[in-house]
Amino acid sequence: MLAEDRRHRLREAMAQSGIEALVVYGNAWQADYLRYVADFSMLEGHGLALLAPDGSTELYVDSIAEAERAESETAGLKIILAPDIAHAVAGRLDRIANHRIAAAPLGFLPKFLADAARGYNLEDGTKFVDRFLMVKMPAEIDALRRAAKLADDGYQVFLKAAIPGRMQFELIADIETFFRQQGCPDNFMIVGSGGQDVHAMAPPSERRIKAGDMVTTELTPAYRGYFAQICRTMVVGKPTQAQRDAHAVYREAMEAGIAMVKPGVTAADVARAENDVFRKYGLGDYVTSKYTRVRGHGLGLFVDTKPHILEDVDTVLEAGMCMIIHPNTYHPAVGYMVLGDSIVVTETGAEVLTGTKRDLFEA
Amino acid sequence: MRRGLIAWSKAELPESVFDARLARLRAQMATQNLDAILVYTNNNRTAGVSWLTAFVPYWAEGLLVVPRNGDPLLTMAFSNRIVGWGKEVSRVARFEGGARPGQAAGKYLVEIKAKTVGVADFDGLRQQVAADMAEAAPNATFVDATAEFRRARVQADPAEIALATKAGGIAHHALAQIPGRVATIGEALGLVESAARLAGAEEIYLAAAPDLAKSTAFARVEGTASAGDAFAVRATLAYKGSWVRVTRTVDTAPDAQAMHDQAVEIFAASVASLPRGDGFGRFDSWAVEGCRVAQPLEALMGSRMTDPVALAAGSLVTAQGVIEIDGRRIALAAPALIGADGFPSGILVQPDFGPR
Repeated sequence: MLAEDRRHRLREAMAQSGIEALVVYGNAWQADYLRYVADFSMLEGHGLALLAPDGSTELYVDSIAEAERAESETAGLKIILAPDIAHAVAGRLDRIANHRIAAAPLGFLPKFLADAARGYNLEDGTKFVDRFLMVKMPAEIDALRRAAKLADDGYQVFLKAAIPGRMQFELIADIETFFRQQGCPDNFMIVGSGGQDVHAMAPPSERRIKAGDMVTTELTPAYRGYFAQICRTMVVGKPTQAQRDAHAVYREAMEAGIAMVKPGVTAADVARAENDVFRKYGLGDYVTSKYTRVRGHGLGLFVDTKPHILEDVDTVLEAGMCMIIHPNTYHPAVGYMVLGDSIVVTETGAEVLTGTKRDLFEA
Repeated sequence: MRRGLIAWSKAELPESVFDARLARLRAQMATQNLDAILVYTNNNRTAGVSWLTAFVPYWAEGLLVVPRNGDPLLTMAFSNRIVGWGKEVSRVARFEGGARPGQAAGKYLVEIKAKTVGVADFDGLRQQVAADMAEAAPNATFVDATAEFRRARVQADPAEIALATKAGGIAHHALAQIPGRVATIGEALGLVESAARLAGAEEIYLAAAPDLAKSTAFARVEGTASAGDAFAVRATLAYKGSWVRVTRTVDTAPDAQAMHDQAVEIFAASVASLPRGDGFGRFDSWAVEGCRVAQPLEALMGSRMTDPVALAAGSLVTAQGVIEIDGRRIALAAPALIGADGFPSGILVQPDFGPR
């Protein structure tokens, strides 16, 4: 069982480091720490889990619907409905105040719970858990492969959905419906449509797709909680030469980034490999924070997990890490363009999980 | 995190609605001599900020600063490239992006010389955000203003009632797409998802009880689940910041419709018993949820609640329950309005789907 294997990894590490209780927080966005421990993804409200060295796990939620769902979707956990969750968990921790307790991610905890005035001491256990979130077990990588297949299939639906006259949110409806039909309950996606006026992807709006638009998306479906991502750009109609030329830069940059991936290099090395391609073509300004956020990021139980692929992130890559390499940014000639593939770091390099062609698609 | 259309509808939420809500909040601030009040928002605690600005975060967190006098500021943890989108879908005087909303809010408090600052749901505020704002505004005193915010927020205005009714209508329409027989629950969920999103739902969380003969517990379905002779689907749906739950039970038995009609009657009578809630005695399990600060559907009362919350007159809630009639289980949920000014509590959208 994947959930038990994850808890086992944590318990071994807790024993080695002397941690006697681990508190993890989760909500609908930052779901990974809680999912790792409790195998439950929150939709509403706060969730907090308490893992003991013997593996017993208590899950506190403040929503009636979530309590009922947790009872149905998890096994072997004690589920506690606690509408005043911060005080309820604080009361629980008071009873083990003489234990060494770590919390992750500490900065996400409700203020009352993390307040230094409480009778217990909470260590920051974020880095302690981060290592397990980043370096996956084989079964976790298998789940990411399944998610990547969903992403590929979803993009084919997207290509058919993006036709002139439709509004952005109608495209989203088609994608989400497809994922539901596949038994995939979670996905993160943003879109963009237009030309040089588009500086980023955003949540879906009522903007209509029109001929000549570049339509960008990142799809991030989950399988058993693990998110894989794909980024692609399509043109409604025939791409212009400027769009083709721009796309060639993004493809070269993404492939340079992927080629750099192997154990021992840093996230910065990968970002630099991508950005050097842009600089080579005189586009160095467009790899700065004014025009782009990251050149990729970790994937797993959270859509945007560590490490971020940036030139100032010195995280060393290890086999078993999963991430997307995406040199997404604004291009002055054509607007915001995206291209990205999910990969897993292997002993010798990168295994690409997504299989969709790296083309500038036409619709 | 599966948001759909996010847009500020000026027809449904005219500026005058926000002006009136800000005035209600400022009146509460005056009672405690607060110079400003802070309201936190993120992906799952949306309802405080959306009530005041129409803004619904897609992924990022943020803080709304409402001075007693002066312009409100909404600071969100996203890049300036996204700020244009944020301004487009919200109604707030000042909108900023940046990495640390707590720091940005603190700086604004210094700028407006706020000394006593109330924070809605202070105990539940994310620890790092609280630390950042305290560091950025070292001379401000932060106090819990949950009670003040609740007093301003709790009674629904006509715009909010209209949105809850529309949200309930979208959920009802979406659930009505489920045919009498489906091979898998995924088939049913796909139909509901499509109809809801095409109708403009901002979000829809779907949960199902795939075989009511075995269990009435609702779960998020992952993978393939076959549908029993009787199953139920619950749609938790948001539209323009208004959240509701509507549940449909699908039962292929010949006499199921009559039992369902009876269940709906009992459910309506039970809702009418609110705010007391003593009419829910016939239900095996039941719950009433609603928004008081920022969590859209906060647990208020029900069969699992040991410490129920008193329901305020004129507040919006969602009621749900599972009842057994002649051996068949029926799950129901619908938005409701708690009675006020001589009007009894009542369901806004009937959970009645008619003959199949």
